[in-house]
Amino acid sequence: MKPVILKTTNLHKNFGGVKAVSDFSFEVREGEILAIIGPNGAGKTTIFNLLSKIYEPDSGTIEFDGRDITKTSQIDVARLGISRTFQNARLFTGLNVLDNVKVALDYNARYSLIEAMLMLPRRWKYEKETSRAAKECLELLNLYEYADKRPDNLPYGLQRRVEIARALVVNPKVLMLDEPAAGLNPEEVFQLMDFLREIREKYPETAILIIEHRMDLVMNICEYIYVQDFGVTIAKGEPAEIQCNPHVLKAYLGEED
Amino acid sequence: MTAYQLSLVMLACISVITVSGVFTMTSLAGMFSLGQAAYMSICAYLTFVLARYLDWPIWFTAILGLLASGLVAFIISLPALKLRRDYFALLSVGFGEMVGAIVILLGKWTNAAVGFSKIPKVNGLVWIVLGITVLIVFMVRNLKYSRFGRMAIALKTDEIAARSFGINVYRLKVKIYVIASIIAGVGGICFGLRNRVIAPDSFDWSLSAEMQILLFFGGTNSLSGSAVSAASLKVLPELLKGVKLFGMELQDFKTIIYCVLIILIINFRTKGLMGEQEFSLAPIKKLAKKLNRQHKKEIAK
Repeated sequence: MKPVILKTTNLHKNFGGVKAVSDFSFEVREGEILAIIGPNGAGKTTIFNLLSKIYEPDSGTIEFDGRDITKTSQIDVARLGISRTFQNARLFTGLNVLDNVKVALDYNARYSLIEAMLMLPRRWKYEKETSRAAKECLELLNLYEYADKRPDNLPYGLQRRVEIARALVVNPKVLMLDEPAAGLNPEEVFQLMDFLREIREKYPETAILIIEHRMDLVMNICEYIYVQDFGVTIAKGEPAEIQCNPHVLKAYLGEED
Repeated sequence: MTAYQLSLVMLACISVITVSGVFTMTSLAGMFSLGQAAYMSICAYLTFVLARYLDWPIWFTAILGLLASGLVAFIISLPALKLRRDYFALLSVGFGEMVGAIVILLGKWTNAAVGFSKIPKVNGLVWIVLGITVLIVFMVRNLKYSRFGRMAIALKTDEIAARSFGINVYRLKVKIYVIASIIAGVGGICFGLRNRVIAPDSFDWSLSAEMQILLFFGGTNSLSGSAVSAASLKVLPELLKGVKLFGMELQDFKTIIYCVLIILIINFRTKGLMGEQEFSLAPIKKLAKKLNRQHKKEIAK
């Protein structure tokens, strides 16, 4: 079995009196695809925000690649290799698709402000490298034809794929997708599923975490599922187990009288 | 060219320098400031007062002035850039007023509100100013197309998303603010050398506001657009001097004409005349290629 890459133990987060996440423990292994599902308000996005350190957890620990990242800042967590997408495709509208992908690599390029302004050799060298990596990623994911388009001129399905490309270009160890199928029509959802399978092949080392509502997508793609309801994990297991779990049915369909 | 025409060229150049400074912070990083004229003031006063009282060469004091405005910008930015955008704009107005007040307080050296006029004459100034302008625009352009430009545009659109790609938002903002303030300082020195007199009034908040207006007129995200608008809108009123309409001086309507232009722009082109487009040589190149091809065809015939 592959090594555990990301692991949380007893994660808690309260907002005022509301327990958004309580006692959340999970682990994901290298190259695994794992889904967190649950009805609206179950605290799924809060879990992502805790993992990417947009929120600080009230208690509990997060462990990444064998080191404790509970106290690490959002920026450093991103640099360690936890990439994410957002629920509403937050692409940078002022930049074209290629630059959107390049910007994810930019913190890492080693040339200074002065070198950038005077066009010194190091700027050329690193700029070339960044462009090459970004183009490679776009080509790999069949998005290169849109490289110089503005993201707001693209259909929503494509925007989501560009956003995933932007998160993938840094070769992250963990990729977190926050409702990748939200707002997509059924055809686009199929394309997205193919797209995710492609990613699976092309980035075999990357562990993928998905938050989703669409059962078809989750059941088809994921290897392991956590079900959340009101901040509590009510079930976990493989897709087939989850499908007939009475707790899950109750949370999703309501109680039988 | 007559001396008057040369001074108009310099006026345009100075306007381009200061507006490109504002471009780096407002268009790239989304920091809206109404205090950039204060950095012109700091830099100009330091340069000329030191040159006068310590008898140091002007190029040396100019470097000191630039370093000082960079340093002041750094100190101001540490607390200020933690604020939300609107509060940052408010703070910048206060900062601008404060610098003006300090200049008056130090009246013993700066000659207070009367203005400091012991500024050395520099020969061939227009060429120096033109050279500096080209250099500054070139540098700001490079900045826009570098990793810093991209990261700045990213943080302008969405700070949380920018952070989740490892961008250190705060540090980048500080860097860009310092650079913008140094560029404003360059503009201040050129301003002093051209006018041969500087007064606290020459650098009040209305000058900062004017820079923002020129920037927005030309295009919120277009360096070339805002440079062209900075040069032309600044020189236009001078050219209108002496032009009469219905027996009244057209120049008296300068403010009204500006305001009407701004209202039109805000209503019909919210992102400025050029928006995000840059003037580029691409269409000219295309045309040249086309002509070349036609020429070859004709030869082949």
